Amino acid sequence: MRLLIVGFGFIGRELVKALRDKMSFLRSIDRDFKVVGIVDSKGYLYNGKGIDIDDLNKITRLSEHRDYKLGGTALDLLGQNLCDIMVEATPTNIKDGEPGLTHIRLALSRGIHVITPNKGPLVLAFRELMNLAERNECALLYEGAVAGAIPVFSLVRECLQGDKIVRLSGILNGTTNYILSRMFFEEISFEIALKEAQEKGIAERDPSYDIDGIDAACKLVILANALMGREARLNDVRIVGIRGITQEAISLAKRANYAIKLIGTIDRGLEVAPKLVPINHPICVHGTLNAIHIETDLAREITLVGYGAGKETISAILNDLITVLRKRGMSKFSSPKIV
Amino acid sequence: MKFDMTLALADKPGQLLRALEPIAKNGGNIISIIHERDKPVEGYVPVSLVVDFPSRQNFRNAINELKNLGIAVIKSEEVVEKVRLTFILIGITDLKKIIESRIEGVEIIGLEILTPSLNKVSIKLDVETHAEAVNILVDHLRRLAEDQNALLIAPIYA
Repeated sequence: MRLLIVGFGFIGRELVKALRDKMSFLRSIDRDFKVVGIVDSKGYLYNGKGIDIDDLNKITRLSEHRDYKLGGTALDLLGQNLCDIMVEATPTNIKDGEPGLTHIRLALSRGIHVITPNKGPLVLAFRELMNLAERNECALLYEGAVAGAIPVFSLVRECLQGDKIVRLSGILNGTTNYILSRMFFEEISFEIALKEAQEKGIAERDPSYDIDGIDAACKLVILANALMGREARLNDVRIVGIRGITQEAISLAKRANYAIKLIGTIDRGLEVAPKLVPINHPICVHGTLNAIHIETDLAREITLVGYGAGKETISAILNDLITVLRKRGMSKFSSPKIV
Repeated sequence: MKFDMTLALADKPGQLLRALEPIAKNGGNIISIIHERDKPVEGYVPVSLVVDFPSRQNFRNAINELKNLGIAVIKSEEVVEKVRLTFILIGITDLKKIIESRIEGVEIIGLEILTPSLNKVSIKLDVETHAEAVNILVDHLRRLAEDQNALLIAPIYA
């Protein structure tokens, strides 16, 4: 199968590194597997015979490559059916989902399998995109979009096919968990913990997307729609961030054997808010870790813990890629049904 | 909902079956029964039951029917299952409004306050309540926090 990578930022570059390291394994699944194109915001590389991955690892910017075509776009390549799978890894945009939404729509409408860690299109148009994938008998997989390396969608899709999820809760943002953990263990203020997170590159210079709970709310919407068959939108989520949390509140909680964590919950409604979590609860993980606690009618309670951002996300993207490669030539792809 | 009942039955054959009929007829599910046949008092045997009825009305109907049958009901009360919850409020300015919160079935059992010189006041509130009042309590505290521009931190599954 022929892979097109759209987006050559952090995720795109880390994916290329992982593809280089795992190429012989991938070719043991599909001997014709090759990367035929990589697109960044200003142009692309395309080689129908396959791009030499080792060459790519020597450059930091795609434009440094000798075959780089300035001015070309992903739409040019998608429009000519030059690939079978697209990894869409452009930056998340929750206002209109672009440019990812247009890329994914075009790919799916042409029967190209899509793998994406990009939350924007999934938050804004989940049902539409799943229906498009179903109609065109191709896969839309997005394991990396929520809680990075935690295989929550794969777990439910493959291992909980007969279970009905009745409630889901989780720590879905590593940045806020890092800040709250530092306040809990080091007894420092919110402002100092945030500054420390920014210096370590864990928080953005403008941290509002994380600390005001918007990132966690986006993930909650995707989880609700994908795993529980809801028709949720971002506006449906009651969102409270962690800006107002004081060191004194953390101390009071700690003395009563609780930690304060930013928790996303899907119950009757959707909510992201700081909550008191008993320190012995399986969801009470620290640092940049994420955790997802699923309650179902049959299995009852399952907790998943892992890293939610950074290069660990490549694990999820690669697993989605292998899922598509293994199913090539088999019966048509269809969306998982929800109990 | 569960009810704790004690009946006094005449120490004669068939009395227990007779007493259980109104309970079964009103949808009562017997969770436990203690029939103390070896402790008759003036010819009556005490029978203690915990019964789960679909509603309070079903429970009241069963009690009335038992009385109509001439069976003495010594004790009958709802078993209230209480839960303890902890909340934290940051930035509350009017503490009196919390202390004077009167919600049926909710009791404040602990209050701890930290008043730093620089930061906002932080309060830990421990309450005991029956399960049915939890949502009312959370809504009340949320409104109270919003009115005072404060932040409520509720327990994870409240």
